[in-house]
Amino acid sequence: MTTEIKPINMPKWGMEMSEGDINAWYFAVGDQVNAGDDLVDIETSKIINTVTAPSSGILRAIIGAQGETHAVGALLGVIASAETSDADIQAFIARHTSAVPESEPEAAPEAVLTEAAPAPIAAPQVSSSSSKLAEGQDDSLVAASPVARRLAAEYAVNLNNITGTGRHGRVSKGDLEAAVIAAGGRLIGNTSNTKGSGAAQYGDDSHVKATPVARRLATQLGINLLECRVSGDRGRVCKADVDAVAALKKTLLAQTGSSAMAGTGNTAVESQPISGMRKTIAARLQSSKQTAPHFRVHIDAEIDALLEVREQINHSNSDAKVSVNDFIVKACASALIKVPALNVQFDGEQLSYFSNADISVAVAIDDGLITPIVTDANHKGLVDISNTIRDLATRAKLGRLKPDEFQGGSFCISNLGMYGIKQFDAIINPPQGAILAVGAGEQRPVVKDGTLAIATVVSLCLSSDHRIIDGAVAAQFMSVLKGYLEQPATMLG
Amino acid sequence: MTTQQFDLMVVGGGPGGYVAAIRAAQLGFKTALVEKQHLGGVCLNWGCIPTKALLRGADIAHTLKDAEHFGFTFDNLSFDIKKLVQHSRSVASKLTQGVAYLMQKNGVTVIDGTASLADKCLLDVDHNGTITQYRATHIILATGARARNLPSIEIDGDSVWGAREAMTPTALPRKLLVIGAGAIGVEFASLYNDLGTDVTLVEAENRITPAEDSDISALAEKAFKQRGIKVLTNSIVQSLDNSGANTVALISGSEGQQHLEFDQVILAVGITGNIENMGLERLNVASQRGFLQADGFGKTNLAGLYAIGDVAGPPWLAHKASHEAVICVEKIAGVEGVKPLNKDQVPGCTYCRPQIASVGLTEAQAKAAGHSIRVGRFNLNANGKALAINEAEGLVKTVFDEHSGELLGAHMIGPEVTEQIQGFGIAQQLEATEHELAQSIFAHPTVSESMHEAVLDSLGIALHQ
Repeated sequence: MTTEIKPINMPKWGMEMSEGDINAWYFAVGDQVNAGDDLVDIETSKIINTVTAPSSGILRAIIGAQGETHAVGALLGVIASAETSDADIQAFIARHTSAVPESEPEAAPEAVLTEAAPAPIAAPQVSSSSSKLAEGQDDSLVAASPVARRLAAEYAVNLNNITGTGRHGRVSKGDLEAAVIAAGGRLIGNTSNTKGSGAAQYGDDSHVKATPVARRLATQLGINLLECRVSGDRGRVCKADVDAVAALKKTLLAQTGSSAMAGTGNTAVESQPISGMRKTIAARLQSSKQTAPHFRVHIDAEIDALLEVREQINHSNSDAKVSVNDFIVKACASALIKVPALNVQFDGEQLSYFSNADISVAVAIDDGLITPIVTDANHKGLVDISNTIRDLATRAKLGRLKPDEFQGGSFCISNLGMYGIKQFDAIINPPQGAILAVGAGEQRPVVKDGTLAIATVVSLCLSSDHRIIDGAVAAQFMSVLKGYLEQPATMLG
Repeated sequence: MTTQQFDLMVVGGGPGGYVAAIRAAQLGFKTALVEKQHLGGVCLNWGCIPTKALLRGADIAHTLKDAEHFGFTFDNLSFDIKKLVQHSRSVASKLTQGVAYLMQKNGVTVIDGTASLADKCLLDVDHNGTITQYRATHIILATGARARNLPSIEIDGDSVWGAREAMTPTALPRKLLVIGAGAIGVEFASLYNDLGTDVTLVEAENRITPAEDSDISALAEKAFKQRGIKVLTNSIVQSLDNSGANTVALISGSEGQQHLEFDQVILAVGITGNIENMGLERLNVASQRGFLQADGFGKTNLAGLYAIGDVAGPPWLAHKASHEAVICVEKIAGVEGVKPLNKDQVPGCTYCRPQIASVGLTEAQAKAAGHSIRVGRFNLNANGKALAINEAEGLVKTVFDEHSGELLGAHMIGPEVTEQIQGFGIAQQLEATEHELAQSIFAHPTVSESMHEAVLDSLGIALHQ
């Protein structure tokens, strides 16, 4: 009997993602997985996220091994029932690895799932039951026990479809399981057997004669029984045979490891592959510098008045701890609305103008940097911006930002003032059109009306993409920005 | 002066503070904890744990007294209170070291010293006169609370003890006055009575353990009186006269005034938050009646400042502090599904004899809140196990909402009920109704069968009474 084979594909989280690194699999080949189980961690542009199992079954093959990088849409693994033959699995893999859907940017795993499976298909038990029971409106108001609600999520069952027999019609665990069985489904964790098929490339080893211990061991070690010599009695693969293959693999692994080490002559050098985040930073910044002709405009702003307003706000409002940077975000938001030609994204072909200022703020984190976004900054008050940035920066450092919190944005601010940097210039964060580099506010001698005076001055440097932003526009933006910073009351209106 | 920077700093190393530090470190915060004296706080050093070590001694005293009932007699039985205190202190110090290990294991920087807020997100830590400044995006205050004094009566550590002195006696008092019959007062009254002291317990309210359900209070008072504890409710200690060899207390009650003589007094009339000398007034941090005000996740009105545990108000319980610690830190970190503290689901335990444990609303509170209720009661003198161990004094009481079946409150008095209350707590968290509880199978013979019977009684179908 053949049943449906489900692919696990490299997901696409956001516009910018083109590939991902396989960080870790939670299951080994041969393991039973349930729909919704955490399956594999993928490290991508700036985050590590988890792909969950699209359906229940046995993880029959892993194509994307740990440490490898695969393109979006690429086949990473296969889930199928225990009955599906290894030959079918192999055929399925062959078909899917040759044709990676390159031109399907929005190919979510679910979309690929619905793709026609091999011709003769018997209705899959669990998924057919789920599909019948899955439909319906929001079931959050249905009376159900906590256990029943959790199970419903695992079976993808909508509780509206279950008749509750508990008090006041509350749905119990028993009601839910009865409905799943009645719909022709199977209970999770109740699968009769999980045949260990080992490494997929050797084919189905279920017919190989082996001792029970050898078979269990082979499953656990990911070894196909066809790889093993046969030295047991009555022509069976025994424990020693499996152990031998395991030992051989270990030696091979150690050799490849040591030969790689021998290549580096200098013992003081520690080589390590770069992280997914570093790779993304490298690729994006290189492409930005190569494709966007940067030009820079500098301006100095005196911020003594701003510092006074800041002091007043922080003193009068307990729940405010507004920083100079918060003022700069607010001022940029106002300036971007006034000079909309700078509030843009450009992908090389199309120019997108934004009606709101979604400002990315560069945050240094342990192994790189990330740019969480203050959305709608032009509609937010200073204290709101300040508290939003504190929350975003806190979670950025913990790696707890959601993709939509750092992907996008129409403008970027990078502030190195806290390190005492006087001024610097930054590389544009594509597809944005410009980035502002902010130095430290410091007391400097200034000439006012022909006499020497002291003022607190901050140096600002705007890098713009000259393909879409002209010098005069950049200069206009900087002069508006300077005006807001030097007369902060004007931006608070 | 250089300023060190942390993502999150915790002030106070008690069960609120050290748990907050561990959870923060687990989530990836660069975390520091400031403690001025002992890691572990009052709970480990001067509260929950050392008193339970002493009360174990009281249990043994009670068992030895009761042993004759089971056929044992003793000659030359003697007791050295110093050894009992020594046991209690050694347990406390062991646990303090355990907390230090946990800090190290989780990579939490422990800073010795007294902290005060220099500004928003800025802490000054005074260590023997040297002040170091630290900057932290998030600062959690878990500074705890201390015993409250009365206007006319203050703890002096000599004739008037607070909890600290009461758990480190060098000799057993002969005649002891305990002022205040809340959890701390009744525990000390029970302890010293079991160890052989003549105890008088004075309470201003009309019953002892006034926070508990009145049925529980009544049973506790009856049990205390049977043990020889003199209980004076509706009574106030007006003054103490220490001029003579003994302390003379002027106590006024419903029967007028009386002078009573004691050789020791324990003052246990509640606690007050440690909120002074931390720069909080200057920054206008909101407080009320000696405790800091915070929202359901511990956030105060000051940017980047949080308050958890005793300093953030009642109930003043270690497990409430630890729970607040976790939800406060998880909320800051943006962990999904964090829920604010529901004070009706915080269990309370009092380790007098018989023990008292409860969770949720009392019958009176439930009625006052407008619930129409269904009450179940079961007396332990019909419980086989309780009779077998000769501890059949007790009661289990359940309060359900008649319409929804929600378990509004559960109240227990009897042997080891502090270990049983979690059963009701879990039922409450899972929103089980009286029917789910009635359908659950309770093992026989156990004292906790009474929990089942109390639920059955609320449905009018109790089997064994």
